Amino acid sequence: MKPIIEIKDVSFAYSKQQDVLKNVNLTIQKGEWITILGHNGSGKSTLSKLLIGLLKAKTGTIHVDGIELNEDSVYDIRKKIGIVFQNPDNQFVGVTVRDDIAFGLENLQIPREEMIERIDKFSKKVDMFEYLNKEPQQLSGGQKQRVAIAGILAMKTDVIIFDESTSMLDPKGRKKILEYMKQLNDEGTTIITITHDMKEAVSSDRVVVLKHGEILKVDTSTNILRDKTTLEQSNLELLLPLELLHYMDSNNVDHQSLKDFLWASSLNV
Amino acid sequence: MGIKFERVSYQYQGIDQRGYLAIGDINLSINAAGEFITLIGETGSGKSTLVQHMNALLLPTEGRMKLFGLTIDKNTKKNKKIKLNPIRKKVGLVFQFPEYQLFEETVLKDIIFGPKNFGVSEEEAIKRAKKMIEVVGLDESYLSRSPFNLSGGEKKRVSIAGILAMEPDVLILDEPTSGLDPMGRNALLEVFYDIHKTLNKTVIIITHDMNTVYEYAQRALVMREGVLVYDGDPLQLFSKKNIDNWNLETPDILALSKAMETKFDITFSTPPRSRKALFTEIKEVLK
Repeated sequence: MKPIIEIKDVSFAYSKQQDVLKNVNLTIQKGEWITILGHNGSGKSTLSKLLIGLLKAKTGTIHVDGIELNEDSVYDIRKKIGIVFQNPDNQFVGVTVRDDIAFGLENLQIPREEMIERIDKFSKKVDMFEYLNKEPQQLSGGQKQRVAIAGILAMKTDVIIFDESTSMLDPKGRKKILEYMKQLNDEGTTIITITHDMKEAVSSDRVVVLKHGEILKVDTSTNILRDKTTLEQSNLELLLPLELLHYMDSNNVDHQSLKDFLWASSLNV
Repeated sequence: MGIKFERVSYQYQGIDQRGYLAIGDINLSINAAGEFITLIGETGSGKSTLVQHMNALLLPTEGRMKLFGLTIDKNTKKNKKIKLNPIRKKVGLVFQFPEYQLFEETVLKDIIFGPKNFGVSEEEAIKRAKKMIEVVGLDESYLSRSPFNLSGGEKKRVSIAGILAMEPDVLILDEPTSGLDPMGRNALLEVFYDIHKTLNKTVIIITHDMNTVYEYAQRALVMREGVLVYDGDPLQLFSKKNIDNWNLETPDILALSKAMETKFDITFSTPPRSRKALFTEIKEVLK
């Protein structure tokens, strides 16, 4: 495996305030699915904005696919990393779904014929082909997020960051986005999800827990999922079956097959 | 009776000049005190339109409402004698991004803005601000701070304190916990529950979180395509067969307790409605 993102000793502060991120070190492999968890204000979203060059690190370096992120390389790097933000209403730039997906492609100066081909292909992929001529106000929040994903897919980026992209959606919208994350990761896209929702962490390979701008822990998702101490330190809670499992253990309630069932059902969300 | 809807519909004109029905033929009664209600439904199902009628921000295009004794229908707008301001004092509405509405230099000024606007004296408004900042789980030291240096959760609490300082009978919150971390969300839900319990207010929460509905609400309202399709007990709601068609998820506690009952020799005497209740029940059952 080859690293797609290398973050070395990165710190960041907004103007003269105290550091929002402190000495962050993280290497993400090509094709990996990483979840970044943390309390409100832990620096999760700041980290994602640094990765796409919307913010500039105070110290440290970020490499994407071997290229160091700086003012000269930022536009090339944005061809490699796409981001889906939290609020579906703040990222719809086109007049119609078609225009919205075309926007990124126009920036890349893709020839017209190929552009049409890509718009058709990737709108079908997120089940929004039928909606190409619709305006944003005719779409639900979940549909807008799917259009945002199609726009990124059409640009064929290696990495997609989902920055709390499901937190404002209804259950159906959330489930659908989660399905696309899984599917894209299976097809080789590197996925970074930033979330409070432990259900999103279940499918990922590794989980990073941030607390007050520092990495508290990096581990496999199966280890973090049951790590009550780490999660609670960052205002997070265990998935319900695992909380019950923990309760049974600490109260000496014995029932091995129930415990096995709880563990299995927590992985099956 | 606080809020009563009789066959209320609201139609708006789209940019294509066609009329769209946002909510249709709604019948609904809500008490002026003591209720804890959650309002759920897909994006675009009419939830926000519905609650904006409850404090007369929107007026029906068909049907009529009685809001704290005042009858309102499509002719109300033309009648200059009808004052809607008293209704907005009775029914406090906290929008989805209340933090965008903070604008004063200090938290205190922000909280007293609303009550002063409704004719409350400065002295009385400050007294209320001191009380309400505690109710929402912050302390007096926040009053002198700038609202812009607060965290997302703190901003939400400040804006809720501002609405509470107007002393509404009914408090409506549009997705108050979306985007908050789990502990911040739980703490805020406890605040709403406290307001309901100790001040005997009616609290209405719009949410996509079925766990909130199941663990807190006495009554659930479900909107679907502009129609009120359910008004009743949350437990019965999630036991209904057509719940899948409404795109609602089964709450975690209900899903897990049902799965355990099916798989193991476990029967719950009463369905647990909180994590704590579930855990202690399991401990009892397995003894």
